Amino acid sequence: MLARLALPAHVVRHSAANAFADMRAIYTWRTWTFGWLGRMLAQVTFFVLLGRVVAGPEHATYLVIGNALMTCVIESLTVVASTTWERTAGTLALLAAAPAGPTWVFLGRSLQWPVSGTGTSLVALFLLGPFFGVTWRPEHIPVAALLVVLTAAGTYCFGLFLAALVLNAGRLRNVVPGVTALLMMAFCGVQVPIGYWPSWIGRIADIVPLTHLLHALRALTEDASSGYVFARAALGLLVGVFWLVMAHLAFESLLHRGRRRGTVDFDP
Amino acid sequence: MRLFVTAARFQLRHLAGSPAAVQVCVTAPLLTVVFLSISDYAGRTDLSPYAVVAPTLMSLWLLALHAAGELITEERDLGTLEGLIAAPARLGTVVMGRMCAVTAIGVVSFAESWLAAGLVFGRWLAFPHPLVVVACLLATVWAAAGTASILSPLFVLMPSARVIQNTLSYPFYLLGGVLVPVTFLPGWVQPVSRAVFLSWSADLLRDGLDPAPVTDAVARLAVILALGSAGCAIGLMLLRRVLNRVRRLGTLAQA
Repeated sequence: MLARLALPAHVVRHSAANAFADMRAIYTWRTWTFGWLGRMLAQVTFFVLLGRVVAGPEHATYLVIGNALMTCVIESLTVVASTTWERTAGTLALLAAAPAGPTWVFLGRSLQWPVSGTGTSLVALFLLGPFFGVTWRPEHIPVAALLVVLTAAGTYCFGLFLAALVLNAGRLRNVVPGVTALLMMAFCGVQVPIGYWPSWIGRIADIVPLTHLLHALRALTEDASSGYVFARAALGLLVGVFWLVMAHLAFESLLHRGRRRGTVDFDP
Repeated sequence: MRLFVTAARFQLRHLAGSPAAVQVCVTAPLLTVVFLSISDYAGRTDLSPYAVVAPTLMSLWLLALHAAGELITEERDLGTLEGLIAAPARLGTVVMGRMCAVTAIGVVSFAESWLAAGLVFGRWLAFPHPLVVVACLLATVWAAAGTASILSPLFVLMPSARVIQNTLSYPFYLLGGVLVPVTFLPGWVQPVSRAVFLSWSADLLRDGLDPAPVTDAVARLAVILALGSAGCAIGLMLLRRVLNRVRRLGTLAQA
């Protein structure tokens, strides 16, 4: 079993090296900290201020938790855009021909986003949150951090599935993650409880990892039992794995179709 | 003026169906839904105009930033930047014509946000001061294009300035009070906010949707136009300096 996993892990590791090289080309630690992080913290503050104005400090606390976790979702969804870079770089045909599974390559290829997103969310939750009334008990901090990691990872898997769909529609590479993030922001319990919306929207939101993991994070801050927090987190993780499997099927099908039709290099 | 209009028309044709325009047109109504859900959940139905004004201004600024970033980059990628600069037409007029055209598409988001508020939440906002709203939107298009033009020279010097393009969205929305009026920001921030055209545009647009009489509308419009013109003057001066420099060094086409 371990031997069977060794090869994919090797592919993911090498692919991730490319991902972090891309990250270093885009950001220095200064531009990440004062540029990107500052922008994301401003976004959290933007929504929290609205909550403060319309509903007072209590809803502001609700908003800061939702929007702080949302930052890692937004970053993780960048995988949709960065996966299409392979086509632009002309390397998609090589990936299609290589014996390494495309899913493992793409899984590692954009890992910089969930890592960076996790950092952003942690800063937003633990440094910005207290300014808006969020308090953390010391024993909750590692659990909250783990929930952030799971949210970034689960969203990344969901993003990989979307990336497989968008690979053949490169012009939408920035539109799809932007719209998806806004839909999640609206309907997954980030700004208002899911119960505010009609029940059918809640049922759709259940297939998004963020819904369950954010629920677990809120339950943690409200001192719910650890069993309940664990159950919601496990559900979120399970949904993330489901999207990874879907992404695998979508990548395999896309490249298989491309090889048969000779269209791997073309954006139809 | 003819050159300005020709540049704007060219840009509109070039932009039709572009991902940036599509993105803004799709996200504006969704932002309205997000903002209205927060205020509706809190029982503050009186704040509906906020949810229409904010996505409109956000779209205008986002498109202006996009235009400032892509204009030079695209010309450079196509290998037409040298030709554009060597042509006798004034580059500043061409740049502003094209930037205003891109930014003007953001006005569509006002109609979309208004429709989203009506269709999803049943909040059909009235237009008690239509002239003020239209004039404010037009002045804001100019101000957004003028202010964002300050960034254009940066893209000639360093293509990595895209990071700056990504960074200047939410901090600017916050500072400009597009959603929550500047008066709710800390006192020390407010003077800075008043130097940002968005704060004047947001206040005037919100007042334009409020049944109460709008005070000093002409003066406030003049401030928006003046801030935009100041940005435009700075942007074009910087662009001229940067272009002179890269022409002297022979690095114009280098990305």
